[in-house]
Amino acid sequence: MVQLSTPISEEAAASLQVGDTVEISGYILCGRDAVLPKVLKMIEDGTVAELGVDLHGQVIFHTAVSPAGVGPTSSNKLEIESSIAPLSAAGIKLHLGKGQLHPKTIAALDRCNAVYAVIPPVTALLGAKTTEQKVVAFPELGMEALHLIKVDKYPAIIGAAHGRSIYDQDL
Amino acid sequence: MTRTYEAIVALVRDTLVDAGSTFRADKKAAYQRAIDTERNEQARWVLEQVLANAEAAERDKSPLCDDSGIPHLVLEVGEDCAVTGRMLDAIREGVAEGLRKLPGRPMGIMGDDSHRIDQSGGLNPDSAGVAPAPILLRRCKDNVIRLHILMFGGGPAIRAKTYRVFHRHSTQVVLDEIVGWAREGVAQLGCSPCTLAVGVGRSHFEATSMMLQAQVDGKYDEQSEMEREITRRVNEANIGPLGLRGDTSVIATFMKVGPQRASGVRIVCVRPACCFEPRIATVELQ
Repeated sequence: MVQLSTPISEEAAASLQVGDTVEISGYILCGRDAVLPKVLKMIEDGTVAELGVDLHGQVIFHTAVSPAGVGPTSSNKLEIESSIAPLSAAGIKLHLGKGQLHPKTIAALDRCNAVYAVIPPVTALLGAKTTEQKVVAFPELGMEALHLIKVDKYPAIIGAAHGRSIYDQDL
Repeated sequence: MTRTYEAIVALVRDTLVDAGSTFRADKKAAYQRAIDTERNEQARWVLEQVLANAEAAERDKSPLCDDSGIPHLVLEVGEDCAVTGRMLDAIREGVAEGLRKLPGRPMGIMGDDSHRIDQSGGLNPDSAGVAPAPILLRRCKDNVIRLHILMFGGGPAIRAKTYRVFHRHSTQVVLDEIVGWAREGVAQLGCSPCTLAVGVGRSHFEATSMMLQAQVDGKYDEQSEMEREITRRVNEANIGPLGLRGDTSVIATFMKVGPQRASGVRIVCVRPACCFEPRIATVELQ
């Protein structure tokens, strides 16, 4: 089991291999369909610093944050998967979600020394591992706002790294 | 025994919480069997996580999944029992209280028809803002009024399919089509292993209602020959839990075949219910 703490260093990201089981600890960002395009717009406009969160070494968890808890939504939804390449270029080191990604997304992760990890949708277990949460931006989106949460040992499997995918048949 | 309005509200509230937080005993046993036989190490790890999550949710009476689901209700009515409008009001109030108590994800969309389609009307911050689907009513042998509450998540709804199949007077043709749809849906779902819910009817409404009833009547430890065949053939696709490969893409199949028409077509509904579904609990209201 590989222990990962945020912010994730370039060296730590480079050492991750497809199939590694990891536990993630520290502060991580949460966002999904509604908010990720808005974050990309801030990156394009050069205003992303207004978030007050350094994206370098960060994790983005593809989830809503609601009274029901957290759990991964499908990372291959249009607005989510299309965010992976530009967010990796902006410094995100680990994208946390579920589902198979397209080859061009996996290649973009590799170019940025970033990885994709699959997390089981175990909301009840994750609740006990989530100790803080706050809205960072776009509060009008409610549970789909950009959140920052503090987590302790979230379990995940590295699903894409170094241009390879765990969904490839030959692995 | 006739219960008071308040008693029905309380029963429905607690039943909804159970539906959203509990695996039935036969489902736990099915997962344990899958863990014992799964050969892929990563797949086995996922299965263990899902079962541990179920134990934690049941203990804490908290949601199994953050997509806590849309309530779907099946009401069974016995020989001498009468359903009143007041009882339906109590059920609806109990659902609302249950959603708040669980708590359900506040994902009700506000606004007029157009606003609700494009989601521009905003989210209702109240968990109880998630309205239940229309109630399905059916007769039962016992002289009771029995309510089944099922919580339907969004992922399986995206990957479900209801369409016509030209059967060519062969059951195998229909089974082949079901297996093909299921393999595609399970692979895309992400939250496998699935329980496949299958309905066969004469219209889209009937096929979908059969799919719903299949989840009420289905049992993990009692599988028909057709159910076993569908499960086996989808598992041969090596999709696995969370799509990570392995032997366990499907835990079981629940299939209900309704009356059919003299015609070359069957309407088939296949829902790849996610690793937590069917999220179901049952209560007798009278």
